[in-house]
Amino acid sequence: MKGMKRVIALAITLAFAASLPLYIPEAFIYLLGLALLFAILVVSWDVMVGYTGYVNLGHTVFVGIGAYTAALLQSQRLALPTLPVPASIVMGGFIAALVGLFIGIVTLRLRGYYFALVTAILPLVFMQTVFIWPDIFGGEEGFTIEHGLAGSVVEKYYAALLIAFVSIAVMLLIVNSPVGLKLKAIREDEELAEAVGIDTVKYKIMAFVISSFFAGIGGAAIVHYRMVVAPDLYDIPLMLLVILSAVIGGLGTIYGPMIGGLLIYLAKNWWLKEVVDVFRFTALPINDDVILYLILIVVAILMPEGVYQGIKEKLKKERG
Amino acid sequence: MEGLSAELLLRIIVFGAVASGIWALAASGFSLIFGVVRILNFAHGTIFVLSAYFGITLTNYGVNPYVAFVASILFAGVFGVAMYKIALSPIRESKVMVIIVTLAIALLVEQILMMTFGGHGISFPSLVEGVVYVAGVPITYKRILTFIIAVIALISLEFFITRTKTGKMIMATAEDMEAAMLIGIDTEKALVITMFVSSILAGLGGLLYSQIFATTPIVSLKALIYAFAIVILGGLGSVRGSIVAAFIVGYTLAITISLLGARWSEFVVLLTIIAILIVKPTGLYGVEE
Repeated sequence: MKGMKRVIALAITLAFAASLPLYIPEAFIYLLGLALLFAILVVSWDVMVGYTGYVNLGHTVFVGIGAYTAALLQSQRLALPTLPVPASIVMGGFIAALVGLFIGIVTLRLRGYYFALVTAILPLVFMQTVFIWPDIFGGEEGFTIEHGLAGSVVEKYYAALLIAFVSIAVMLLIVNSPVGLKLKAIREDEELAEAVGIDTVKYKIMAFVISSFFAGIGGAAIVHYRMVVAPDLYDIPLMLLVILSAVIGGLGTIYGPMIGGLLIYLAKNWWLKEVVDVFRFTALPINDDVILYLILIVVAILMPEGVYQGIKEKLKKERG
Repeated sequence: MEGLSAELLLRIIVFGAVASGIWALAASGFSLIFGVVRILNFAHGTIFVLSAYFGITLTNYGVNPYVAFVASILFAGVFGVAMYKIALSPIRESKVMVIIVTLAIALLVEQILMMTFGGHGISFPSLVEGVVYVAGVPITYKRILTFIIAVIALISLEFFITRTKTGKMIMATAEDMEAAMLIGIDTEKALVITMFVSSILAGLGGLLYSQIFATTPIVSLKALIYAFAIVILGGLGSVRGSIVAAFIVGYTLAITISLLGARWSEFVVLLTIIAILIVKPTGLYGVEE
């Protein structure tokens, strides 16, 4: 019965998402497609951080690797074979997962704080490669690619919807499987998990590789969506946007970060731009990022458990 | 050829000393605050840069550089304490939130600085003028002064922690907060003092940096990354480890810049650190958590 309800809810959501281009202007559809791909990044971050409790601050490394891999497979900059678009996106995921495996083996023997610090410096290491070898990676400007996900904006939106749906569904299946249970055991008490015979290092690395794979897929898909690859996909502001979305949505829930990702991305790229215009006459140093960071700081201090939990608790109090 | 390589060696020695001193200041403060309060302060690099911008602004308004120097260090300390009191103290128990909030503060300040001052490099006026020639290589007095101030500050820090009553109080809090509370130590006060000391070390580092190198808002990230790298290498929470690691990083930096060029600097330094971590995962002086 419960399964049936879920299938119906899912079908309605998908039908709604698929019908959007019928009555929404194209510029907004374009943003919506990007928001869907951004949601993949947020959910894949949640698979690692929300389920194992290890704070990965280098998620954009895998986004960038996926993005550059896919872009290079679409250009003649390296003497690489040119792959069809779907294959290059999958390759982006695989290369990201491979790098994730190596980084995971090195760092996941360490406990929490070291992992956070080491992963925090990684995006900068990878970002430097772009500037060191500008002939290959295009330097600060990045480079454009020829073949995108599809020709028209609406087709691109459907492609993004498909990629996001498949990616998020697979991640959801993984965290709801016995593997997910073991990850949660690690999050709750790592020593206890080890004591009952869970190979914690193996499962942590597994979660990290899965997380990296989908970050790579997301990065690669974004490149094929907007047709440009640039170092912003490695950069810290993107990392913080992912964190912000996941935290607002509620860590370790998949659905929460997915909705958080969609809302935050649209808020930043649509609504905040208009808010900033209101402040323009004041000549104060305010832009969309400043407002976003201020919101994040205030939310974090007032509701350290996340907005989702915070609201749930408040409702409980009012009822009780 | 021989003369050239001797000159290069001397340049590396001087540059390495200056870089090591500055990064040791930034990293020891970061390590101190982690060791005592168990928070990763991602806004540490922001304090580093903020004190430099504060000092530069004061001198632009005609304040004497020495006065501005001292005022900026104090400003850094006050900023750190205010940040702790307002934003960090209520969420201290949640590791993830502390990281998120301090990271958001860092990016917020960076954006505001960028919009107020622009992205071009600016510098704090030299506290001393003049050049000394050693074997034909010019060494500015301000570089020598920077190194001396850094060394004095680090020795004072070591003395403060190990010899003074307040330092011992802080160390007791770091060791076991509940036990420290039980024997009557005001642990909240200890945390505030730690935050203050950590921030003035960052502030001093930033001022010394901006006296020699062009400072931009992005330097906050650079300072943070170097502090991370050094602390990872030296071992989290170990101030002494940070100082040793700062010299390793400083000289790796100097050699890389001299031989390969500046754009390789961060890449090589961070790769070195990752290589060391593969061999020794808890850093040089690190302890098992």
